[in-house]
Amino acid sequence: MREESITSILADLNSSSTDIEASAIISTDGLVIASLLPTSVDEDRVGAMSAAMLSLGDRTALELDRGALEQVLIKGANGYILMTHVGHDAVLTVMTKSSAKLGLIFLDVKRAVADVTSVL
Amino acid sequence: MQQYKIIFSGSVGAGKSTAIKVISDIEVVATEARASDHIQKMKESTTVAMDYGRINLDAETTVHLYGTPGQERFSFMWEILAQGALGLVLLIDCSATAIKTDINRYLAAFKDFIKENAVVIGLTRSDLSTGIDWEMIYDTLAENDISAPVFEVDARNKTDINMLVEALVLSIDPTIDSTINPVVT
Ligand SMILES: Nc1nc2c(ncn2[C@@H]2O[C@H](COP(=O)(O)OP(=O)(O)OP(=O)(O)O)[C@@H](O)[C@H]2O)c(=O)[nH]1
Ligand SMILES: [Mg+2]
Repeated sequence: MREESITSILADLNSSSTDIEASAIISTDGLVIASLLPTSVDEDRVGAMSAAMLSLGDRTALELDRGALEQVLIKGANGYILMTHVGHDAVLTVMTKSSAKLGLIFLDVKRAVADVTSVL
Repeated sequence: MQQYKIIFSGSVGAGKSTAIKVISDIEVVATEARASDHIQKMKESTTVAMDYGRINLDAETTVHLYGTPGQERFSFMWEILAQGALGLVLLIDCSATAIKTDINRYLAAFKDFIKENAVVIGLTRSDLSTGIDWEMIYDTLAENDISAPVFEVDARNKTDINMLVEALVLSIDPTIDSTINPVVT
């Protein structure tokens, strides 16, 4: 099943670094396709926020002449949220601790995006 | 130079994005994403963050138009977009099955906003319905303790939407000369 294979890709991603706390694959209209989130996190909210951020990122990148959007990065005092396009119709959202090494996270995310693309 | 910010909110597919597009003087900023849920049956795409457009009422007055997503999972955007707004255009799809529930939902969500600010209501897509039950509409507003102007409009029709915006701007500031475009009837 599609959802199961995506969940196992997310499981690999989350275990690739102890800094990764949560991840989800979301449709661009904000519905969660598969997720590995702490129970304290509301899945629907993560979905909707990811879709809103990504769409604004899309528009901003285009209007300010940066080409097609690839990623949106948010840094808070407690960590990062990284949203990455997966094809046209989905987004990978990853939440990390503040101690995360971004370069490594980017690599792991890139691999996961490739894997999910082949399943979607 | 007077600047007003108003927001368009209301039920999914009522025509918020369409309305802003039809009256905006500038090319709108839209954030449509392909619908992947039941909304698919109704239309291909849905707003996921906001719409933005702008109209010049006259040389001194600019109205900034913000449209919200209609779907409840984006309700955090309703709060964000309502900040600093002076008025609300509530669009309700009259071809939907649960019109009363829809009205109640959005009036409840914007309750605090409406206490402080102006609101007008536009009933859209009535041509696709069996007719508007005006008594039910006014009862629902009364139950919510709200007296707002209600208009039957087509979101695709520039004259209709201009009229809604004029009514709203007039109730925000009664002194303004709000002839956006001469209304042709
Ligand atoms: N027949 C008819 N169609 C209408 C009328 N008003 C709007 N529409 C159509 O209804 C649809 C409204 O779609 P949108 O403008 O995307 O609606 P929205 O409120 O932005 O929807 P969300 O962003 O998904 O919440 C469009 O296809 C319009 O052409 C009307 O009065 N009659
Ligand atoms: Mg819309």
